[in-house]
Amino acid sequence: MSSKTTTGATEPARAGVERLHAAGLHAPADAVLSVRGLNVRFNSENGVVHAVRGVDFDLLPGKTLGIVGESGSGKSVTSLAIMGLLPPTAQVSGSVRLKGRELLGLSDKDMCAFRGNDLAMVFQDPLSSLTPVFTVGTQIIEALTIHHPAMSRKAKEARAVELLAMVGIPSPRERLKAFPHEFSGGMRQRVMIAIAIANNPRVLIADEPTTALDVTIQAQVLEVLHTAQEETGAAVVMITHDLGVVAGMADDIMVMYAGKPVETGAVDDIYYSPRMPYTLGLLGAVPRVDVTEKTSLVPIEGMPPNLLTPPTGCSFAPRCPLASDACLDGEPDLEPVGAGTLHRAACIKSGSLGGSVDVHDVFAAPPVPVSRFDTVPREERRTVLQLKEVRKHFSLTRGALIKRKIGTVKAVDGVSFDIREGECFSIVGESGSGKTTTLLEIMEFHPGQDGEVVIGSLSNKQAADAKTKAGMRRELQMVFQDPTGALDPRFTVYEVLAEPLENAGMGREAIRKRIMELMKLVGLQPDHVNRFPNQFSGGQRQRIGIARALAVNPKLVVLDEPVSALDVSVQAGVINLLDHLRADLGLSYLLVAHDLSVVRHISNRVAVMYLGKIVEIGAVDRVFDNPRHPYTRALLSAIPVPDPQLERTRERIILQGDLPSPLQAPKGCNFATRCPVFAALPPAKQEKCLTLEPPLEAAASTADQRFACFFPDGELDEDMLVVHETRSTIPPEISRPQAPPLAPQ
Amino acid sequence: MLKYLAKRGITYVVMIFLTTSAGYFLAVSSLKPALLEQERIPRPTPEQVANSMRLKGLDPDLSPWQRYVDWLTAIVTRWDWGRSPNGAYINAEFGDRVWISTRLFLASIILTLVIGVALGVYSAARQYKFQDRVITSYSYLAYIVPAPIAYFLVQLGAISINETVGDRIFFVTGISTPGVAPGWPQFVDLLAHYVVPTVAITLVGWGAYQIAQRQYLLDNVNADFVRTARAKGLSRNRAIARHALRVSFIPVAQSIAFTVPAIFAGGFFAEKIFAWPGVGSWSIDAISLQDVNAATATLAYGSVIFAIGAILADFATTLVDPRVRVQ
Amino acid sequence: MTNLNAVDPAAVAQDAHLESADVVIGKNTIIFRRFLRNRTAVAGLAIFVALTVFSFIGGFFTPWDKETIDPFNIGMPPSADHYLGTSQAGIDLYAMTVEGTRISILIGLVVGLVSVLIAAVYGCTMAYFGGKVDKVMLFILEALIMMPALLVVAVATSGGGAGLKRDVPSWLLLIIVLLVFSWMGTARLIRSMSMSLMQRDFVKAAQYMGVPPRRIVWRHLVPNIGSLLILDITRGVTAAILAEVAFSFIGIGIKVPDVSLGVLIGGATSQVQTFPWMFWVPLTVMFLLTGSLAMMNDGLRDAFDPSSSSTGKAKKAKARKTSAEKKAA
Repeated sequence: MSSKTTTGATEPARAGVERLHAAGLHAPADAVLSVRGLNVRFNSENGVVHAVRGVDFDLLPGKTLGIVGESGSGKSVTSLAIMGLLPPTAQVSGSVRLKGRELLGLSDKDMCAFRGNDLAMVFQDPLSSLTPVFTVGTQIIEALTIHHPAMSRKAKEARAVELLAMVGIPSPRERLKAFPHEFSGGMRQRVMIAIAIANNPRVLIADEPTTALDVTIQAQVLEVLHTAQEETGAAVVMITHDLGVVAGMADDIMVMYAGKPVETGAVDDIYYSPRMPYTLGLLGAVPRVDVTEKTSLVPIEGMPPNLLTPPTGCSFAPRCPLASDACLDGEPDLEPVGAGTLHRAACIKSGSLGGSVDVHDVFAAPPVPVSRFDTVPREERRTVLQLKEVRKHFSLTRGALIKRKIGTVKAVDGVSFDIREGECFSIVGESGSGKTTTLLEIMEFHPGQDGEVVIGSLSNKQAADAKTKAGMRRELQMVFQDPTGALDPRFTVYEVLAEPLENAGMGREAIRKRIMELMKLVGLQPDHVNRFPNQFSGGQRQRIGIARALAVNPKLVVLDEPVSALDVSVQAGVINLLDHLRADLGLSYLLVAHDLSVVRHISNRVAVMYLGKIVEIGAVDRVFDNPRHPYTRALLSAIPVPDPQLERTRERIILQGDLPSPLQAPKGCNFATRCPVFAALPPAKQEKCLTLEPPLEAAASTADQRFACFFPDGELDEDMLVVHETRSTIPPEISRPQAPPLAPQ
Repeated sequence: MLKYLAKRGITYVVMIFLTTSAGYFLAVSSLKPALLEQERIPRPTPEQVANSMRLKGLDPDLSPWQRYVDWLTAIVTRWDWGRSPNGAYINAEFGDRVWISTRLFLASIILTLVIGVALGVYSAARQYKFQDRVITSYSYLAYIVPAPIAYFLVQLGAISINETVGDRIFFVTGISTPGVAPGWPQFVDLLAHYVVPTVAITLVGWGAYQIAQRQYLLDNVNADFVRTARAKGLSRNRAIARHALRVSFIPVAQSIAFTVPAIFAGGFFAEKIFAWPGVGSWSIDAISLQDVNAATATLAYGSVIFAIGAILADFATTLVDPRVRVQ
Repeated sequence: MTNLNAVDPAAVAQDAHLESADVVIGKNTIIFRRFLRNRTAVAGLAIFVALTVFSFIGGFFTPWDKETIDPFNIGMPPSADHYLGTSQAGIDLYAMTVEGTRISILIGLVVGLVSVLIAAVYGCTMAYFGGKVDKVMLFILEALIMMPALLVVAVATSGGGAGLKRDVPSWLLLIIVLLVFSWMGTARLIRSMSMSLMQRDFVKAAQYMGVPPRRIVWRHLVPNIGSLLILDITRGVTAAILAEVAFSFIGIGIKVPDVSLGVLIGGATSQVQTFPWMFWVPLTVMFLLTGSLAMMNDGLRDAFDPSSSSTGKAKKAKARKTSAEKKAA
């Protein structure tokens, strides 16, 4: 018995559900999974948390439903409730029917017949989701054994090999004997998918399956999921916070907010004509990697409500720019937005939205800030940071007693760039590309560094004495990725902000004044200075981190993934703040980010790194609109865009495998092992890539763009190109009636 | 793997050497057997004492360094650990006693680990239920009782059982009764001597393992990989038994490093209280007799036991954790 | 992404709490409140304080002291004259227990506090300097762990005519030896905790702001391992009291004429049948002492544990500390 279910426990409740089904709310006969009135409550010390409040949907065979929402919206709880994997303390009510069979109220033992068989799930974190002490083969075979005890050992092994091959794991027979820690994150997620599809499930639930992965790996895993769905014909529930990820995959979308679906409909309706201000805001909050013209992002102010007290009005009203008194009067139901449509929204103003309504008008997005430096030509601006041939090599040793060197990891290998006043320079690349190590080399001021780091007018070569170092510290400050980890939990905000000021030798009164200034500058209430970091939301914490970095008036701020830990709606506010601070204070930024959309939105110039080297560098619009290096092309192509039609039709490059170990890098071009251009080259030309190292050279024109490739714009290998045209061949008009997203009300 | 063990082995040899040397200097500078000699009756002259000490290689007039060099040379060249003030050879005394101690502890070590781990798993499976509370409370109780007092209480218990029955079922002291016929009677006699100390050591020892194993298992019960196993179709209990249990053994395997020396240390008390002539009781007696060489030898023995424990732990960890195996 | 914890009701509740919390509650207040809410822990604290007070003022309630022999009451059970009876030699047990409790508590507190201090300094130094310094210090630490403490205690306290024994009372000698052998475990734990703290972004932020190392250790490291230190003090006190009793019991710790609980218990073992009160009274006091400390330790652990459901019903995260410690080791 995994969950107490009021449905199973009490007859009247059961009768109520039966009545609902009888009253036309029943699932379409062909739905594999139909959920009605799903409610989940948890007991907490502060009271009962109503985490999921009335979720309904039907899932048809072979179709994909995307559930979109931010953290705490109840999307993961919904999926675990369907699987019956919530802790026993959770109270689940409503109805979950798999092929007509009610699942809620079943005992843990009875649920076992469905879990892993008809109903399978892929979890978010592939690193912790596999048992570390068993081989991958054992874990796949276990899934088969549970539901097919009669299957022979040989047959099971053959099936496991087949599954591993299906999810794209090279030499699957040998890899069966490997342990999870011998796989990379992306590979482990493939194994998870293999386990999930082992018994040809009818429904596959994927909970943020790519969130922990790099973009290129994300693209691979999404591809694998796509294949898996085609192979098994399973219906998929895809849970994500990233509107881009589901745009190309989903048939229907359900947007959740505060535990409740607030808008549901076919994917095109949701993306092109959202009728709920929250959906509208979410779409406007995401920067687009494919759009040149810069517009401000839409920030959704405030925080989601707590789920302890039942809302008396629309739960989004406190954050909604359109909210009026009527919105506070009762929580709106999910209603069809027009006659005869399956697009439904829980908003009393849904009629006035949709179509041509501009999200920037609705949410009063701030104007795009302009820095006083923007009009000055780059050459005339002062250099605030310059890197000359910066290197960081680690030697790898082996041997217990006598260490012998087996190779060198070139984490950063001759990186040079400069940052001018008022400009934002970004470094992008997969994890392991050396971008974070580059930041560390800048921040640490190692006088022993091979190359040179010049900050303002001071070089790391002179940074031997404390005074020079202090001078350099004042010029540059850093904002960290994880806003929670970057603030000492035992400091109040005042203490956090006072630390750099005290260190700079400021007087008490001056410090107090400066802190109040800073609080206002980053959009926090000055009277909150006595609070502890854990009393702020993630976005507010990141603002505190920014305020701390700005305290001593640095020229350059180093931003290490400043928004990647934040929810989409909060992220937009922080990006806008950074944008506006750069303009108002004349700051320069050095930004490291894996999210290329954010990079495009905020940067002026960008460098793409691969295995410690810059492979392409230049003005952000040049590089993103006309990428020359195959890696840049692949990276850009891997980013899903929140535009369903574009996603369905566009051609994408799926790189093979993971970032290779730096030890295995070829003598010539590092990227050759994964390069889609290289793969299509005739052997004679391939030889050049393998033996010669391509220099970072300017494109023919005088434009600000340099790249390190012998064969830019070359033909791409066809095996690495994927187009999902299957979907686009069926016009939405035909597909929709076939696939009613939700039962009519 | 072998290389790794070899490396650890060498580190421990160095450590044993250092601790033993440090122990020797401590013993040489604080233990003065000559003083005890002088209390003999008839009181010997200081010259006689010095003479007899010199003959046994315990010359108090030499500098500690010189004595250390002599002592070390003897060990390295002849494996001779020196003599006691009463003239006995350490090497000869040691052999028997090590065997007696080992016999006493081996059973206890195995029982402690097996019972502790088993009860830990059992109580974790019944978290917050009656059985769990009883077992865990017992373990906490074991934590606040000093080992020798616990042994003493067990001894009292055994005595009272003997008295109640009116016959000598258990021997509460000694290792064997002299003159028992070989064969079956000897075995029964052996058992009667063994039971009480073994039970006492085990009763005190398992608590820590029960608490640790229970906690490790509970830490893993809600792990992501258990959820994955359940999503495959295993019931909660089976998922825990198959996946969480095995992972929870890893830290327990690591803690073997501390079991062996801990039980050895407990052994000092046990031997003292149950009057077993093992290394422990011998060493304590030797120290009160101001015996430098015996004290140092037992110290070396203790260090070796620790090193064995640590290497065993490495070995056990390798056995259960594939992540260690590969390096 | 933060939605890793989407299912965690505590996180949801926490968020909810944020909105309504206008009053700023310091973390220490929360910990204090949680501790007070734990009845067992409060009882433990009360017993411990009572015993400490008893050991200091208990002597005023009886005319007897630990040296005076009452020739009319030799080996007598408890009576109005001698509250807890007398020993074979006619010495008042109550007076001896007061004295013994004081010595035991003294040993416990001194060893508990000072060993944690040594451990903190040693552990932080290892973590801060790292590299070679760390390696050498770790080697010394492991070598000390390897030394059988018991033998050293025996050697030190039974050291022959060495001047040491004559000038220093045996309890002080025992304190010194216990100190030398009690700090290694904690030091290793503090080392690994500080090392992980050094990797935390807020320490890096301070470094990148140019805050001097000494200040980073003092302002960021020490407060963040504070809870561990407090827990280790209570555990260290318990361990020291237990060690004293164990050593004195087999006759190698505190030596007469000094009195401690261990000496009293150990001395009475041969008389359990004849003078049972001589054995059971000091044993009970010892149990009260170590038991109350264990109860406090348990309550403190719960109070410090951020994941503890502090309403503290049935769910007590017992032994979480033990596991953390073992893992760190």
